[in-house]
Amino acid sequence: MKLEIGNFFVKEVKFGDVTKFSKGIFTINKEEAIAYVKEDQHITDCDIVITHPGDETRIVPVKEAIEPRAKVGSDDAAFPGVTGGLSQAGLGRTNALKGCSVLAVGKHWGSFGDGLIDMSGEGAKYTMFSQLVNICLVADTDEEFERQSAQKKNKAIRWGAHKLAEFLAKAVEDEEPYEIEVFELGSIIKRDSKVEALPSVVYIMQPQSQMEEKGYNVLYYGWDLNQFVPTLVHPNEVLDGAVIGASYMCCSSKFSTYEFQNNPTIKRLYKEHGKTVNFLGVIMSNLNVSLEQKERSIIVASKLAQMVGADGAIIGEEGYGNTDADFIGCIVALEDMGIKTVGMTNECTGRDGHSQPLVTLAEEANAIVSCGNVSELVELPPMKTVIGELESLARDGISGGWAFDEELGPSVRPDGSIIMLNDSMFCGDHVCGSSKKMVKEF
Amino acid sequence: MKKAVLYINQFFAGIGGEEKADHAPEIREGLVGPGLALKTNLKNAEITHTIICGDNFMGSNTEEAIETINGFLEGIDFDIFFAGPAFQAGRYGVACGTICKHVENAFGVKTITSMHEENPGVEMFKKDTYIFPGGKSAAAMRKDTKKMGVLGDKILDGETLLEAEKEGFFVRGIRHQVWREDGAEAADRAVDMLIKKMAGEEFVSELPIPKLDRVPVAPPIKDLSKAQIAVVSSGGIVPVDNPDKIQSSSATRWGRYCIAGEASLESGVYKTIHGGYDNTVANANPNVVVPIDVLRKYEEEGKIGKLHDYFYATVGTGTAEGEAARMAGEMIPYLKEAGVDAIVQIAT
Repeated sequence: MKLEIGNFFVKEVKFGDVTKFSKGIFTINKEEAIAYVKEDQHITDCDIVITHPGDETRIVPVKEAIEPRAKVGSDDAAFPGVTGGLSQAGLGRTNALKGCSVLAVGKHWGSFGDGLIDMSGEGAKYTMFSQLVNICLVADTDEEFERQSAQKKNKAIRWGAHKLAEFLAKAVEDEEPYEIEVFELGSIIKRDSKVEALPSVVYIMQPQSQMEEKGYNVLYYGWDLNQFVPTLVHPNEVLDGAVIGASYMCCSSKFSTYEFQNNPTIKRLYKEHGKTVNFLGVIMSNLNVSLEQKERSIIVASKLAQMVGADGAIIGEEGYGNTDADFIGCIVALEDMGIKTVGMTNECTGRDGHSQPLVTLAEEANAIVSCGNVSELVELPPMKTVIGELESLARDGISGGWAFDEELGPSVRPDGSIIMLNDSMFCGDHVCGSSKKMVKEF
Repeated sequence: MKKAVLYINQFFAGIGGEEKADHAPEIREGLVGPGLALKTNLKNAEITHTIICGDNFMGSNTEEAIETINGFLEGIDFDIFFAGPAFQAGRYGVACGTICKHVENAFGVKTITSMHEENPGVEMFKKDTYIFPGGKSAAAMRKDTKKMGVLGDKILDGETLLEAEKEGFFVRGIRHQVWREDGAEAADRAVDMLIKKMAGEEFVSELPIPKLDRVPVAPPIKDLSKAQIAVVSSGGIVPVDNPDKIQSSSATRWGRYCIAGEASLESGVYKTIHGGYDNTVANANPNVVVPIDVLRKYEEEGKIGKLHDYFYATVGTGTAEGEAARMAGEMIPYLKEAGVDAIVQIAT
C-alpha cells in the first residue's frame, strides 16, 4: 500500500474573497465556508475564528482537532464513513495543509472530554496545538437531548469540523505541493530477506471505546470501536483519515483526529523500517469497560501480534484509570508470548503526587514511556481574547475543571484567570507520541 | 540563624555499644559526635540540640521513646531536623526513620537522614522523610553528612527542590510531570527503548514498577472439620473504646480481641474505626466485617474444628505495605502458638 501526502506549509490564515493558498498564506472565504458547514441543519449558529501562535487567546471548550486534508484526483472522502461514503484509505494522493488545524469549539457548551488551549504564555507549553494556526469552528447546535449532560456526543460540531477541514484542503486540489511524503509498506510476508532479518515490530493502538452507546467513541471507517474486536490495520489507513477521534475521554489523554493523521509513533517506525526494524503494521484494539470485553480484546490483539510474527510491540492507551487494566493486561499477554513490549501512557498520581500512577501494575510492564500526569494543578492568568466560552470550564463538567472547591475556589475566576487540572489540557499528554513531557520522582 | 536538631544513637554519642542500647532518650544542648561533621556542611542553621536514644529503647519502647522526644522538642524552637547517618546499622536506620516520620508529622518540619541502601529503614521510611543513600560504615561520615547538610541548606533557603534523581535522595513515590530538557518526543523514546529491549541492551523505563512481593497461595486444608480457623481483618472492627488506639487510616497499630464463648460480635460492644468506608452498616452489625456469628455456627455444626479464641484487627486504608507486613509479622507468632490452621482474611 502506497500513500503520498502532498504538504502545503501554512504560516498564516486570513479571510478574503477566494479560498486559496498562496506563498504560505491560506485565505478563507468565510461566508462560503460557513454556508458549507451549515448545510447540516443541526448547526444552529456558527462562526469561524482564526488564531495564530503567540496570540493572547484562550480556546475552550475544544472538542476535536483535524488537519485539513483532501484526496487528490478522486471523489473519495478524506474521512471515509464520516465526511462521505466508504472507500479504502491509505492509498493514492492526499493533500494536507500543514501547520494548521481545524478546531471544533463549542460556542457555549462544554462536555466531559473537552479541553483548553492557550495560544501564548505559560499555558501554551501544555499542548502542542498552541504551536499551530487554529481555524476554530465555533458553533452551537440543536442537540437539546444532551444540552444538560456532561457527556455529549457533539456530533454536529465534530462532523462540521471534519467537513470544514476537507473543504479547506480541496482548495489546493490543483496546486503543486511543496513536498510529497511517501508512506509505502507492502505485505507482511514475502518481504526482502534483509528486512525480514530485522526484528519485527507491531504498533498496538488502544483508542477510546468506553461508552456502550454509539456516538461517543473512536470510529474506524465510521464504525464504533465499542462493537469491535482488534484487527490488523495498515499504518497508512491511520495516517489517511480512516480513524477519527472520540468525544469522551478526559482531554489530556485524548487521541484527536489530528494525532491519528500525524501519528509520530507510526512515522518513526516507518523511518526505522528496513534499517533497525521490520515494521509489520498496526493492530487496532479498543478500551471497553467490562472485564469480559477487556479480556477478549487482549486475547485477540496479542494473538494477532503473535500470528504476524512480532518480536516487539509498542502499545499506547487513550485513557487512564479503568483503561489501565486493558493496557497492563495486554502488555502482560504479549510478554508472556515472548514479545518484547514498550507501553506508552500517562499517569494519575493525585494532587500530592503520592498515588499509584496506574490503577494496576505488573512486573512485566518494565518498559514504559510516561507522557504526562493528569493530576497536575495548573493556574493561568487571564487572556485578552477567549474563543468559545470560558465559563464552560467550570460549569459544564469538563473533567479537569470544577464549579466549586473549598480550598481552590472555582476553576474560572471573575478576572478571567483559571485554575484547572492538566487533565483537560487539549490532548496535552500526547500519548500518540509527540509529548516532550515525562513523569519523575520528587 | 535558623536552628537544627540532630538525632543520634547511643553508640555515636559515645555512651556505649550493644550493652548500652537500652539507653533512654535524652537531650543535650549543642553538638555531639556526628553533629561536628554535619555542622561543617550546614551553613544556614546552627545545631542547637542533640537527641540521643538507644537503638533497643527506640525499637522496643517506640511509643515511650517518641513521647519523651516529643516532650523535649516541644520546649525548643527548630526549623529542620536531622537523624543519623545510620549507615548499615538496621535498628539505627529504623530508629532514624521512625523519629523523622514522627517529627515531620507532629511539627511540620522537614526531616533528613541517611543510610545504606540495604538498611531496612530505607524501604520502611523513604516515603516519609528525605533519606540519602549512605555508606556502609562510619568511614562515610563526612560524605553522608555533607549530602544531608546541602539539602538542609536548600530547604532552609526556600529553594524548590529538583527531582529525586538530581537531588540524590531515595525516591519517595511522589511523581510529577516535567518537560524534558532534551525535548525528546515520546514516540522516539518508545521506539529507541523497544530497539534496546529487543536487542537485550539496557534501557530505563520511565515508570519503574515497584517490586511486587507476591505470596504463593497456600495448599488447601485437607479436613476443615478438624481445622482451627482465625479471622484477621483490615476492616477496623474493635471493642468500642478502641483499647489499642488503632488509627482510622494509615494504621501502624493492631489489636487481638478475645471472643471465646461469644456467639457473635454485638453492636455497641464492637464498632469499626475504619476511615475509608461508610461505617453505618458495620456499626449496626460488626459481623458483616468479622463474621463471628457464621463461624461460630460452623463450629457448632462441625463444619470447622474450632474458631480461634481471638480475632485480629487493624485498618487497611492508606496503610503502607511495609507497615502491613510488619504487623502481620507480629501477629503470626500468636497464631502459630495457638495452632491455627487457616485464617479468613477480610478486607473492606
